[in-house]
Amino acid sequence: MWFLGREFSMVTLNVNGVKQEVRAPDDTPLLYVLRNDLELIGPQFGCGLAQCGACAVLVNGKEARSCVTPVASVANQEIITLEGLPARWAKQKGLSAQEAKSTLHPVQQAWIEEQTPQCGFCQNGMMIKATELLESNPHPTLAQIKETFTTSGPSPNLCRCGTYVAIIDAVQHAAAIMAKGR
Amino acid sequence: MATMSEKPANVFGPTLSRRQFIKAGGVLVVGFSFVGPELLKGDTAKAAVFKNSLDPTLLSSWVEIHPDNTVLIRTGKSDFGQGSTFTAYRQIVAEELSVPVEAITTVVAGDTDRTPDGSGAFDFLGHGTPNIRKAAAYTYQALLDLASEKLGVPKDKFSVKDGVVAGGGKSISYGDLVKNQQLKLTIPVKGDLTSIFGLTIEGNPPMKPVSEYTVIGKSFKNSIISSKVAAKETWATDVRLPGMLHARVVHPKTLGSTLVSAGQLDKTKFPNSQVVVKGNLVGVVAPTEWEAIQAADQVAGGTKWTEWKGLPGNAKLYQHLREEADWTSAPVEKSKTSKGDVGPALESAYKKLSATYQLSYMKHAPIGPTMAVGDVKPDGTVHIYTHNQNPQALRGEIALMLGTTLDHLIVHSYPGPGHYGRSNGGNAGAEDEAVLLSQAVGKPVRVQWMRADDMQWSTQAAVSFSDVQIAIDEKGKLAAYQIDHYMPAMQDDRPLGALLAGLPTMAAPQVHSDGVTSTVNGLEDPWVYAPVPNVMERGHGTFQVGQKASPLAVGLRDHSMRTPGQFQQNYPRELAMSEAAALAGADALQFRIDHASEERAIGVLKAVRDASGWDTRPSPQPDAVSTGSTPARGRGVSLMLRSGTYWACVCQIAVTPSTGAIVVEKYTIAVDPGIVVNPMQLKRNVEGGAVMGISHALLEELMFDESGITQDDWNSYPILTMADIPEIKVVLLNNPKVGAYGGGSEAANALAAPAIAAALHDATGKVIRRLPMKPAYVQALLKT
Repeated sequence: MWFLGREFSMVTLNVNGVKQEVRAPDDTPLLYVLRNDLELIGPQFGCGLAQCGACAVLVNGKEARSCVTPVASVANQEIITLEGLPARWAKQKGLSAQEAKSTLHPVQQAWIEEQTPQCGFCQNGMMIKATELLESNPHPTLAQIKETFTTSGPSPNLCRCGTYVAIIDAVQHAAAIMAKGR
Repeated sequence: MATMSEKPANVFGPTLSRRQFIKAGGVLVVGFSFVGPELLKGDTAKAAVFKNSLDPTLLSSWVEIHPDNTVLIRTGKSDFGQGSTFTAYRQIVAEELSVPVEAITTVVAGDTDRTPDGSGAFDFLGHGTPNIRKAAAYTYQALLDLASEKLGVPKDKFSVKDGVVAGGGKSISYGDLVKNQQLKLTIPVKGDLTSIFGLTIEGNPPMKPVSEYTVIGKSFKNSIISSKVAAKETWATDVRLPGMLHARVVHPKTLGSTLVSAGQLDKTKFPNSQVVVKGNLVGVVAPTEWEAIQAADQVAGGTKWTEWKGLPGNAKLYQHLREEADWTSAPVEKSKTSKGDVGPALESAYKKLSATYQLSYMKHAPIGPTMAVGDVKPDGTVHIYTHNQNPQALRGEIALMLGTTLDHLIVHSYPGPGHYGRSNGGNAGAEDEAVLLSQAVGKPVRVQWMRADDMQWSTQAAVSFSDVQIAIDEKGKLAAYQIDHYMPAMQDDRPLGALLAGLPTMAAPQVHSDGVTSTVNGLEDPWVYAPVPNVMERGHGTFQVGQKASPLAVGLRDHSMRTPGQFQQNYPRELAMSEAAALAGADALQFRIDHASEERAIGVLKAVRDASGWDTRPSPQPDAVSTGSTPARGRGVSLMLRSGTYWACVCQIAVTPSTGAIVVEKYTIAVDPGIVVNPMQLKRNVEGGAVMGISHALLEELMFDESGITQDDWNSYPILTMADIPEIKVVLLNNPKVGAYGGGSEAANALAAPAIAAALHDATGKVIRRLPMKPAYVQALLKT
């Protein structure tokens, strides 16, 4: 398919529970489609090299770096961005639509309670990573948290403001909220 | 609009006057005018009131009190993650006005058309009296005047609680007080709107006594964190204007290359893109971001640049600085605390330390590369949407570049990735390029630097070295301390795009440049060891490396970074102090206490000693070892006074001699800022600074060859990861008797380096006198 003289595909994306068609060259990094076409602002451009984690999203529940993920490779896969975390939690917990509206994901709640972000630019990826971790390991040890944010992904999740201590506090806080069920 | 009265009332200071009450809109807005435009320096800032500026003579400039009892505040200071504008500023205003923090519902920050004072995003707390505090204090007095007039009760009979003025048996809320009123006040303001320091409110309005504080000292949450965490905040990166195009810039091959020919765009592949060339500025513009990236790559491949080799390269950097740099053109600075005569004391020293300490260049390295949207309108109005630490300075720089006046410029300020000082002189890199490309194509243009652009074309924290001589007397006391700091100009505020395009901009750093951009190396690290009898502290400055040799006048450009200048000067001093203690056979922490007289300096040292479990003894430790594969352990300490705050830090490390790898196992820091405004926010700022400081100390070194910077990503310029962080303990010492609140966002990033180096000496008996302490350098040291 051609549009404005360039070859494009129609790709069906399933983002935050909504299926939509986007028109983009197959090799377009998912990040640019999310930000520029779908106006989802959670994921940020940090390096474009999968070296920092600022652009992270969940693909089928696993953290992925959207800056190096070709859009065509994730057609019809379940993509969750920071914007989709509250609904993901509401669904997991069977919250009513009314409750869901006013509920943030426990990870987001904990990030606020612990006053984790400084500039906050990396924190999208940090919250995505924390969600991935806590869904598979509800009670991570300190060592497991450090490992998760350092060696489990394509690269360490980097924070230049140095909020790692606050991230650890928030992961532990989120685990406590999740254990309580809301 | 009807003038109800006009009467001068000299409230505080010579020029405060109440001029008129105006019935307008049912809002009391209190603002303050400049004393006069003649106080504004600089050609572009002459007019105090002009289009697209917040008219400072209007009542709405600083603080608005609304009929519903809510309050709006305005500040030129943009938030860079410190959170001060959303926490401390609200608390300070709430305190001075005696309203709940929650009443301050709106904080307007940074936008050049909506904020009054400008200045860089640093020193938010202004040594206890930031502009916003004075604005609130003046407002409070104006409200009391208004209440007195309305209720017929003398002003001194009033007390105020939760925004309700009560006295003489009567009471009225601020909201009711301001209905249908408008008050115009004139107060003295001075400074240069577009400079790094912006404008300062003068005069001495009465302020609430510290003993009556109820809001300051509590951990209110940072209001912007909730919206960022919920993906509801609009970041600079999210700005999308109708018709906006995406752009990437093809930067020159080297820091001194000029353009031979721009590459031809392959129109079959990129039919919607266009190349813009202006001097040595080459940009590629396209309707979609991915096409812009790909087209820029294709164009870059065909673009020809001249070759240039004019830098010393890493290996020869210190030799170049020592032997080739011009240290004579800039006058030598001498600290005000220099005293006595170090010469004879050094001559007759019982023991003597002579050493040189070196720091490398470091990158600000924001997590997101710089970006901006420029929108040059047909009528000559220019909008810039970006994340900037000094939007008013940026406004001045772009006006200068375009040959236009400030009234044509509007800088819109948004959150973005922190860059720790890089734009407090007005630009971070992409802003002027976005404007030039927008001007060329007649549409809004979004310039996003890629990671490599940000590593290789942004400014860096300046390199430096210091020569130290210390004399110790027979009693083990410091008899003389002499330090000579050598550092190239540390702040180059010239926008890169203007340089590349060959457009008007400020002069490169030179001896007679204004203030911070001068080649003169000022003394930045306040002396804290007052009892030492003979002290000589000197600063030697020079031009930036490559500045003169580069045909682009670019070279290795420097810019202040978190704890600027003081990092470069405190590291050698504090490591030398630890070495001097060892030479004297004394404990490094007690040695500092013995050479300090200021109670607060001693206080943070004792606090960090107790909290860290410091064992008092001389260094190196009895089991010090510099060989083998078993980790050796040691501890070191450092001390700093910055922005009215005393800081001390202890690092406990393990080093493996065979590999040279250092692990910081425990980091303890004590902070006495005077009054702690918001304990939670301060603690988070300090923790972050601590982590950044360990990263600086162990990892960060700019690598460059004769042509330019060779690092281009996070693999080649690594920063600390979560796995690398130690146990961090923050001790906040609330000290209300100081009567003021000092800064809390800087300093912490500088304290680790000298403490870790001292700990390495403690563990191994060997001293490393260069930063960073990369394993290879430590390994080489331990082999000697």
